[in-house]
Amino acid sequence: MVYIQYDLLSGLFGQHLNRLAGVNSLWSKGNMSVGHIPIFQHFSPETASMAHLFTLVLLICGIILLVVIGIIGAGLICFRERPGAGEPRPYFGNRKLELLWTLGPILIVIWLFILTARGMHESDPAANREPDLIVIGHQWWWEVRYPGSGVVTANEIHFPVGQQWLVHLQSADVIHNFWVPALARKMQMIPGMTNHIWLEADAPGTYGGTCAEFCGAGHSWMHFSVIAESPAAFAAWLHRQEGVPTNTVPETARDGRKLFQTLTCINCHSLRGVSATSGIAPDLTSLADRKTVGAGVLSNTETNLFRWLKNPQAIKRGCLMPDLKLTDAQAGSLAAYLEARP
Amino acid sequence: MNATAAVGHPVEAALADQPARGLYGWIATVDHKRIGILYLLTTLVFFVLGGGEALLMRIQLARPNNTFLSPDAFDQMFTMHGTTMIFLVVMPTLIGLANYLVPLMIGARDMAFPRLNALSFWLLPCGGLLLHFSLLAGGAPAVGWFSYAPLSETPYASTQGVDYWTLSLLVLGIGSVAASINLIATILTQRAPGLTIRRLPLFVWMIFVNSFLVILALPALNAAIVMLFIDRHLGTHFFAPANGGSAVLWQHFFWAFGHPEVYIMALPAFGIISEVVPVFARRPIFGYEFVAGSTVAIALLSFGVWAHHMFAVGLGHPMDLFFAATSMMIAVPTGIKVFAWSATLWGGAIRLTTAMLFAVAFLIQFTIGGLSGITFAVVPIDWQVTGTYYLVAHFHYVLFGGTFFAIFAGIYYWFPKITGRRLSERLGKLNFWMALIGFNTAFFVQHFLGLMGMARRIYTYPNLPGWGLLNLISTIGAFLLGASVLVLLWNILVSRRRGQPAGDNPWQAWTLEWATTSPPPSHNFDCLPPIRSRRPLWDWAHPENPDPVVGGASARDGFALEKNRVGIATFLISEGCFFVMLILAYLYYNNQVMPGPQPGNTLNPQRTGIYTLCLLASSLTFWLAEKKLRSRNDSAFQWLLTLTIVLGSVFIFGQGREYLHLYHAGTLVNSNLFATTFFTLTGFHGLHVCVGLIGLLIILGLARAGDFKNGRSAAVKSIGLYWHFVDAVWLVVFSVVYLRLLL
Amino acid sequence: MTTQQLMLSAWNWNPWVLAICLAVILAGGWPSRFRFNRLAAWRLAGVSMFFFTLTSPVDALADGYLFSAHMLQHLLLLLVVPPLILLGLPSAPVPNYFKRGPGKWLNGILRQPVATWSLGVGGMWLWHAPVLCNAAVTNGWVHCLQYVSLLLMGFAFWWPIIGPWRRQWLSPLAGMVYLFSACLGCTVLGIIITFAPVEVCSIYLHPVDRLDLLPLLQNQWGLTPAKDQQLGGLLMWVPACLIYFCGIFGLFARWHGDPGDEAVISESPTPNPPLNKAHGH
Repeated sequence: MVYIQYDLLSGLFGQHLNRLAGVNSLWSKGNMSVGHIPIFQHFSPETASMAHLFTLVLLICGIILLVVIGIIGAGLICFRERPGAGEPRPYFGNRKLELLWTLGPILIVIWLFILTARGMHESDPAANREPDLIVIGHQWWWEVRYPGSGVVTANEIHFPVGQQWLVHLQSADVIHNFWVPALARKMQMIPGMTNHIWLEADAPGTYGGTCAEFCGAGHSWMHFSVIAESPAAFAAWLHRQEGVPTNTVPETARDGRKLFQTLTCINCHSLRGVSATSGIAPDLTSLADRKTVGAGVLSNTETNLFRWLKNPQAIKRGCLMPDLKLTDAQAGSLAAYLEARP
Repeated sequence: MNATAAVGHPVEAALADQPARGLYGWIATVDHKRIGILYLLTTLVFFVLGGGEALLMRIQLARPNNTFLSPDAFDQMFTMHGTTMIFLVVMPTLIGLANYLVPLMIGARDMAFPRLNALSFWLLPCGGLLLHFSLLAGGAPAVGWFSYAPLSETPYASTQGVDYWTLSLLVLGIGSVAASINLIATILTQRAPGLTIRRLPLFVWMIFVNSFLVILALPALNAAIVMLFIDRHLGTHFFAPANGGSAVLWQHFFWAFGHPEVYIMALPAFGIISEVVPVFARRPIFGYEFVAGSTVAIALLSFGVWAHHMFAVGLGHPMDLFFAATSMMIAVPTGIKVFAWSATLWGGAIRLTTAMLFAVAFLIQFTIGGLSGITFAVVPIDWQVTGTYYLVAHFHYVLFGGTFFAIFAGIYYWFPKITGRRLSERLGKLNFWMALIGFNTAFFVQHFLGLMGMARRIYTYPNLPGWGLLNLISTIGAFLLGASVLVLLWNILVSRRRGQPAGDNPWQAWTLEWATTSPPPSHNFDCLPPIRSRRPLWDWAHPENPDPVVGGASARDGFALEKNRVGIATFLISEGCFFVMLILAYLYYNNQVMPGPQPGNTLNPQRTGIYTLCLLASSLTFWLAEKKLRSRNDSAFQWLLTLTIVLGSVFIFGQGREYLHLYHAGTLVNSNLFATTFFTLTGFHGLHVCVGLIGLLIILGLARAGDFKNGRSAAVKSIGLYWHFVDAVWLVVFSVVYLRLLL
Repeated sequence: MTTQQLMLSAWNWNPWVLAICLAVILAGGWPSRFRFNRLAAWRLAGVSMFFFTLTSPVDALADGYLFSAHMLQHLLLLLVVPPLILLGLPSAPVPNYFKRGPGKWLNGILRQPVATWSLGVGGMWLWHAPVLCNAAVTNGWVHCLQYVSLLLMGFAFWWPIIGPWRRQWLSPLAGMVYLFSACLGCTVLGIIITFAPVEVCSIYLHPVDRLDLLPLLQNQWGLTPAKDQQLGGLLMWVPACLIYFCGIFGLFARWHGDPGDEAVISESPTPNPPLNKAHGH
């Protein structure tokens, strides 16, 4: 019964936000774009618990606010100075009333504390096994590692719907914060420390995530997406990532491969079968599969990749990839090569 | 008509008291009122600067994918905006108001230490200039006002911005601590006869409590900043995880300061409201004891809540739960205050002057900020909303909707006292409504932006549905708010010259500052009314119906304290906190074995023990010297003082030898974290010993010149306290660093 | 063993504890012929806390299993039981036997706030030196000594604040400083214990599972030794400080509730200025 009310309320609130934001169908399941993150739309048991708690606490706070506004408003209306009337009689307080508004809030606080303890238990269970996924924050991209299969990718997390995955969070440089509002709590990624969260999705779809701790010049463009798919689709995806890609690249991209090896690309980027540098810049093996370039700054098309290669600094100021001063032809063939790889 | 002028000093006569006029008079002044005005004017300049920075940011965010500011420029803007508003505007404005008002409200001639007061003021422009100088030296800091390590370490912040930031904050911190020491000493020792502590106006009481917060909390920041500075310049690794340092420790240190800081910015504002609301509701504050007590509760609890800024750090559930509990608890005393202010309105005869309007807006906006604060104490909610614009909205409701509105109320309330003229009510109302609408437009929508997932500190955002619109609304509100500040400035300029003359007590208020002329003469009071309650001027004006006498009729309470001792004792408390931080850092890093030099094979407890005995003996000799001084045995005093200096020097010599030995063995400050923490801790202690030795030498010189022949000297006592303190600190350091090796 | 079984079965009916409880109830109630008033309520609360501390499952858990349970006992004996009992004592003048001989010496300590403060805060620190902490768990006599000394130090600490001899109370502001500094002392220790990677009491690292409790504690309660120590440190840090804070609020209330010295009538030494209330209108 109580939960029905919660749902009703969060539904109302969500709709209110929807209206405010002029959003209709975009928030429906499976259609979440990068960075588009309504907190009251929950797609996992953990976030559901947080959203319910939030709604309830907002309700409590709202009532308190109304009471305070009521007291002040009524006071302002009823007790204005009237000309001719002398000074009001001094009144120094009322011990009973003061005790009442000390003890009342104490009771509310105890109630909130119990809710908090329960909510923490529900929305952040303890870790009890080896991780299914390791995400490492970099300035300003996300390294995603699947320890079971050895697959490494970047800025996109694929995982199966309905399974609870333990994710280890680490950082390669400064403090980042891993946040997928629809699926899980925020958690800082701290160099020298391993944190964990549980990742779980009720429904297939693409869920936006972002870095929520200021981490330097590229912080604004440090998005990622979590793609929850059916176990079969996920297995197929993982299988595709595991194999070494075929070397048959189309004619137009032949030069690209050579350029990739001869220019400085392989100093930072790894590409399975071509280069094995790790941990400096995103692994490019599955680049063609991804939806964005530059951790969310551009959608992933050949034209955009070309623009990116021509001058990354013009697109994502401050990012660690230098302007390599490529010619149009070089950038074109590199883009064609990287987009055609799988 | 003006009976006061008959016995008091008219304004002109008061100005004639000033030793110097004109610009020089202002620069050289040690008058608390002039220093207060200087504080307020300086902060006004920084307020305009900080506000301008905010508006630049709002322009950049007005529409998606905007390119008005580059990411780096934007990062500099929010860092400067935060730092400026907190350290150069809110804190000094409140300190400036306290500076002007506290001596007047307690019926004192001036602050306890007028010269120290001038020093603390002049450190403010120095710190401000240091911070802004970074703009000329390769760019302002761009790491956020809390400078999370390792982002603020050299590899990730290679310009000198962070260095200027650390130096500036250190300077400002020293200024704030000095001002707080002064305020504590003033309130404890300079009160007028009859003004017992229980009869203090609430503003003074809250400034009193607040000053303790400052002297206890700022050392944590100073310690953290010193470590960051050492990291950046001596190549050490306090906060560099790659070399064993800890990024989390910075967060602990910073927030151990940072949360009390929130209350440092709020308590004086509560004090202003506690003065303004009763006067314009024509009723005494409802439940003085509860308001005063809840202030103590807030101050105490504020030291135990810092980790609620760190719920997303992964400290573990036990830690999160305990800090959630304390954070929620702090809502109770805050609630007591809000209810008390609201209840004061009831049964009153409310005058809706501009000051009162700002105070009422404060009540509601601060309540909104406080309630959204509760959602941050509920840990799972914090896990969602921290680091978003919801947080930005929350703390602006507390700091702008709360503190700044209170400051505006205070300006409208006390301006007549400061200048002798009232601010224009017509412009004031305009100012109020623009500020109210502008503020709420700018910040209320930010709650929604946060809930829609907009992280804070992003310089731009993709064109997502709703984001552009809400941000645009927020920007428009911010500009309206900015315009309201221009109205305030205009009002001040105009009313300063042509405002309605105020007279001594334009609001028929009840506290002592209204018992003197407006502006007050340089000596503040010619004579004071009798003080038997918390509202002496009410008693004076209503002899037929005076307030009940508070705490009996005796004119003094049991605190006969001497101002120099209070000053040095509070200073030492502050120093003690600094050393506690250094010692905690030493313990934190030296609990496990690390590569490089070890305490076990580099330190020699026995030899250092001998030097320790010398230092302890010097405390004994100083104690004996003081005894001789009291018995007027000047030669014995000088002899023992010399012995003290010799023993202290032997200790310093021993430390120097130890350092040399370590140096030859290749143990440098950046060798490993043991060496880093060891040198930092003992080095700072050695520095204090050296300062103490210099003080002792000065005392010796004065003694030789025959200054202490009368057998009494506050200077000797103060240096003595300092010297004993330095020895006591060493005793702790010695046990922590050396004795542990013997166990 | 389940939590329920633990709560039901792990009681330790120590005859000494029962005897002390009985003695305190009898000795405290006798003068007033066992009339139940506020003082009796405080005493009863103190006695039941004492009883709870030393007989309940907390004691069983503290005995080699959980550092945090040990810390809870520690806090109760030092910071809860003594003030509750002291609050239950009627106020009295200083008895004559405390004015000479060893009594005077004892009173000398109780009158010296630095001494009582050092006892109260020192007690906290002393028993957390790793050597003593381990000895107290392994050796029955040290264990007993620990309990007794904690109680005595607790009584000494609270004596100048709420002891029965009102004339020797600290002034309210001094008392607040006394309690706040004590809170800082235990905060520092709590912080060290919470964050120290090395165990303070190594004995709790590898508990001997006499009662077959370990699966319950480590799996169901999730209290691994590291978490257990963190919890212990937090207990010493946060709730302990809250108890001191309660003391501070109590002092504040006492101070503001004090009607003051009504007998002395003193005029302000300065003459009254002719204030003009209407001025400026």
